[in-house]
Amino acid sequence: MVDRMVAEEESVIEDSLLHQMDAIPQPWDYNPSAWDQRIPICILAMIAFFIASYMGLYQWRLVDSAWDPIFGDQTEKVLDSGVSEKMRRWFLVPDAIFGAVAYLGDAIFGLAGSTRRWQYRPWMVIVFGIDVIPLGIVSVVLVVLQGTIVGSWCFLCLVTAVISLILVYMAYDEVWSCLLYLRKVWKETKSKKIMWKTFWGLRTSEADRVAEEFIRMPKESPKRKSTPSK
Amino acid sequence: MWSRVVEMMLGLWLLMSPFIFRYDDSQTMIWASDYACGSAVIVFSLLSYVQSCRKIHLMNIAIGFWLVGFAYYLGFGDAPPAAQNSLILGMVLLMFAVIPSEASVPAPRWR
Repeated sequence: MVDRMVAEEESVIEDSLLHQMDAIPQPWDYNPSAWDQRIPICILAMIAFFIASYMGLYQWRLVDSAWDPIFGDQTEKVLDSGVSEKMRRWFLVPDAIFGAVAYLGDAIFGLAGSTRRWQYRPWMVIVFGIDVIPLGIVSVVLVVLQGTIVGSWCFLCLVTAVISLILVYMAYDEVWSCLLYLRKVWKETKSKKIMWKTFWGLRTSEADRVAEEFIRMPKESPKRKSTPSK
Repeated sequence: MWSRVVEMMLGLWLLMSPFIFRYDDSQTMIWASDYACGSAVIVFSLLSYVQSCRKIHLMNIAIGFWLVGFAYYLGFGDAPPAAQNSLILGMVLLMFAVIPSEASVPAPRWR
């Protein structure tokens, strides 16, 4: 009787393993796709979005002056600089607006997906990662270049650059787990077809097996099958 | 379904754009692009609510590319407001169009 109960319990764990929404992927001891990991990213990205939009409004001359508590009129010099003007010719819109769209993308791709999207929708995590990490680093480099080439500093630009770096730090864990999982699937199957399917979140038994070894359950509730929130 | 709702708002913005940015009556191409794209986005997003064509919102990706391309066609260099509007709408639409309708839960095959 007891044996049967234990066996039943084990099979419940096995069965629910692939549906556990709070499963912890390697190499962390928390779930990087959890809401409490992602929501702060979205909030921070939206703050940067509003700051960048404000600077864009100045570049469009929809506001008359750009606020700067430290560097005075240097912000306006940066925003009206030749570099910025050149970028506007390429992007068609002021460069700050381009940045604002990128920050909005961070928030959108941060919000989309379940708490196990590193496995269920890897493409989404990768797009999110591309938006946050390389684009974030490029924007930081641009801001630093502004200071050294244009010779003026812009307080709000620096704030968004700092936010970009914080976003990179906050987002890399999830992207890393996702890449590790994809690499493991590749190493164990060596099949382009399975890789392709895994990337787009299509199910294969091979990738399921890899995922099973890749995760562990949070300690406090090993058997709880959490209901996903809509 | 939040991404579908936002797409519909973007579609409405496209329909309002000729009046917000005061397009000239002679700018037929811009009127046509904004009206065609705006209505198509709204139709595709609404159709995504029908189970049998729930992935049709992916068509909005094509519209996003069109809007970006059309912006560059309209003006390289000193872009008029209509082109800037088209570019921004195109980029934002591209981001929303790839988001699945039931984004917060796993796809059906994982449930």
